[in-house]
Amino acid sequence: MTNIAIVGTGQTEHARRRTDVSQAGLAREAVIEALDDAGLTMDDVDSVVIASGPAMFGAVNQPEKWLVDALGARYKPVVRVTSGGGTGLAGALAAMNQIKGGSARRVLVVAYDKLSEGQLQASISTLYDPFWGREFAVGIMGFSAAYWHARIKRLGHTEEAAAQVAVKNRKHAMANPKAHVKKEVTVEDVMNSRPLCWPIKVLDVPPISDGACAVILAADEDALAITESPAWIHGMAYYCEADNAADRQMIQSEPLQIAAAKVYADSGITNPFRQFDVAELQEPYTCFELSYYEGLGLCPEGGAAELVESGETAMGGSLPVNPSGGCMGANPIGATALIRLAEAAMQVTGKAGGHQVPGASKALVQAGGGWANLRGVAVVGSEKR
Amino acid sequence: MTQTASPQATEANVDTMDWMPAQINMPYTLTPGQATGIFLAELAKRRLIGSRHGDELIVPAQDFSGATGEPASGFVEVAPVGTVQAFTTGAEGTLGIILIDGSTVPFVHKLVGTDPDQLEVGARVEAVWADEPLGGMLDLAGFAPLDGATSFDPKDDPADLAEAFEKVDYTMTLDYRHAYGTYYGTLFDGVKEGRRIRGVKCSHCRKVLLPPRAKCDVCLAPTAEWVDVKAVGTIQASSVVHIEFIGQRQKPPYVYAEIVLDGTSTRLIHMVGNVDPAEAQTAAAPGARVRAVWGDQHTGSLADITFFELIPEGEGA
Repeated sequence: MTNIAIVGTGQTEHARRRTDVSQAGLAREAVIEALDDAGLTMDDVDSVVIASGPAMFGAVNQPEKWLVDALGARYKPVVRVTSGGGTGLAGALAAMNQIKGGSARRVLVVAYDKLSEGQLQASISTLYDPFWGREFAVGIMGFSAAYWHARIKRLGHTEEAAAQVAVKNRKHAMANPKAHVKKEVTVEDVMNSRPLCWPIKVLDVPPISDGACAVILAADEDALAITESPAWIHGMAYYCEADNAADRQMIQSEPLQIAAAKVYADSGITNPFRQFDVAELQEPYTCFELSYYEGLGLCPEGGAAELVESGETAMGGSLPVNPSGGCMGANPIGATALIRLAEAAMQVTGKAGGHQVPGASKALVQAGGGWANLRGVAVVGSEKR
Repeated sequence: MTQTASPQATEANVDTMDWMPAQINMPYTLTPGQATGIFLAELAKRRLIGSRHGDELIVPAQDFSGATGEPASGFVEVAPVGTVQAFTTGAEGTLGIILIDGSTVPFVHKLVGTDPDQLEVGARVEAVWADEPLGGMLDLAGFAPLDGATSFDPKDDPADLAEAFEKVDYTMTLDYRHAYGTYYGTLFDGVKEGRRIRGVKCSHCRKVLLPPRAKCDVCLAPTAEWVDVKAVGTIQASSVVHIEFIGQRQKPPYVYAEIVLDGTSTRLIHMVGNVDPAEAQTAAAPGARVRAVWGDQHTGSLADITFFELIPEGEGA
C-alpha cells in the first residue's frame, strides 16, 4: 500500500484585496513558502496541479497557462482542477492519484482565488441552470439560507447555535497569523447583525479574500527523504450527487455522508468524535459547520446545536473544530479547501504555532463545492496508517 | 393532474422555441502585478519598460520569466522600436507579433499605418502613442513602419519609474444563446401559450420530474410520459434576500423559495411575493402552501410567473 503524505505547506498573506500582486503572483507566493517548508525547489517537483475557482471570478480563462510562468513550471505536467469551494481538496485528490498511479513522485498542488477582482455573487449565480432559477439566485447564499431555514425547523440548527460557530471561529482566527479578519464577536453581535439572506446575517458570512495555498505531496521513502515529520494522508474522497434528482431534501448532505463513510473505512475511524484530535471544516456560512457535525458523524442527527453549545468544538474542548478560524478568518474560495488540508497537516506535525492543538496526531478535513452537490473528506495523521 | 401520452409519440414539438438569449455582464478591477503595473503606468510617459531576468529581457515587463520562473531583477527602458515576427489581418485591422530591440520575448500588438499587402515578416516598426493616455495597454496605440535607423541606448534601472498601477478596470460582456432542446422547449411552449406546466414521469420509479428531462437522474430509466402539473405546491426551503450586489436580477427584499409543485418530486426555484419580508420568516417558511401568480407577459420562461403567493389557510388551491 502506498502511503502518501503532505511534506510541505505554504499560504499567502490573505487579504480583502492584494494590490501588490497579480493572480499568478499570488499563487507563486504560496508555492515559494511550500517549497521552502519542504526544502525543495521547482526542479524537484514532477507534476503540478493548479486549483482555482470559476474563471469568471478573475476574468482569465485557463489561468494555468499564466501560472506556469510565475511558478517556473515550464515543461512539467500541469493540469487545472476546479470544483467550487472544494476545489483545493479536489486538486489534492488529483495529486494523490497521480502518485498512486505512478506518474509522479513529488506533486505540487497550488490553489488560489483573487476574489477582489470580480463580482462574487453574480459569478456564483451562474452555477444555476439559465432556464431554472438563475434570475432569483444570490450566489449560493439564497440557497444556503433557504436550506438552513429548513434545518432550523427540522433539526434545531438555530440562529443562536450558528452564531456560536461565528463566535468560536472568529475567536480562533485571532491566533492565526494568516487570517485577515481578526475581530472577536459575541452571540448578540451575530444575532443583531444585518440580514443578508435571512437567516444568514453578516456575521454568519466569511470575508471575501485574495489568497493562495500550496501543498507538496510525496509517498513513503520520498516523503521521509524530504521531512522527518510528514503528515500522512489516511484517506481522501470526493463524492457528488445529481443536482435536481427526485426527492432531494438537503436536510443532510448525502455525498458528505458517503465520503465520510469511505474515508473512515480507509482510515480505521469508527468513533470520529473520540478518535480525531482536531478538525478543519470548510464552512462557507456558519450554518454549514452545524450541518457538517452531523454529516461527519461527530454527533447524531439533530445534535449539532448541542455540540457547539457544549464548547467541545472550541479550542480547549475535546475536538476543536477550525482552530485556524476556518473560512471566517479568510476565504479565498479556490484555495479554501486546500487551506483546510494544509492546516490539518500543520496540526498533526506540530507546526500550527499559536493555534496548535496540543499533541494533535489525527485530523479530520472536510470541504465541498457547488451547493451541496460535491463533498469531500480527508483524514491526516502524524503516523502512517 | 392529468396525464398525456408519451412525449416522443404525440407531442412532436413543432413550435418549440430554439434558443433563449442571455447576457452576462461582469465588471472587474484587475491587478497587473508590479512589473506589468509599471509597464502600463509608464506608457503615459511614452516609455516602454522591460524586465530583466538573468540573460532575458522581457517587454512588456513581467513579474516572472516564463522560461525560468525567475522574478524580475531590474527594469530597463527599451528602444520603442522592434521587428515584426508574424502578423495577421482581420476586419479589425492588423495584429503583429513584435520583438522589441534587445528583448528576448515577443508580444502581440496592433500594427497601424501599414498596408498589409506591403507588410513583410522582418519589417522594422516603431511605437505609436495614443494622443490622450487613458491608463491601459492602448496608451501604446500600436506600431507603425519605421523609416531608417534609430539610435536609442537602453537605460538600465531608470530612476524615475512610475508607481505600478494597482487596478485596471475591465468589463467582460458575454452573449449566449441557450438551446431549449425538446424538454425545456415543450415545457416553456406550454407555459407561454397555455400557462401549462408539464413534467415528465420516470418509467421506473414513476416520480414526476420538473424541469422535464429524457432520463430519471436516480433510476437512469427513460422518462415515459408528460404530466400536467398544477402551479400549486409546498415550500421546501426559503430565505429572505436583503443583500444587494452587482448583476442582481431581482430587487431585494424578496423571498427566495424552492418549491415542490404538487405531484412532482423536484425543486422549482422562484420567489414568494405579496408577503411582508418581516412576516416572511414565519409565513413563507418551509411547509407553507403556495400558488403561482401569472403575469401579463408571455415570454415562455419562469418569469411568466410573477411570483408565488401564500394560500390562506382553509382555502383550497
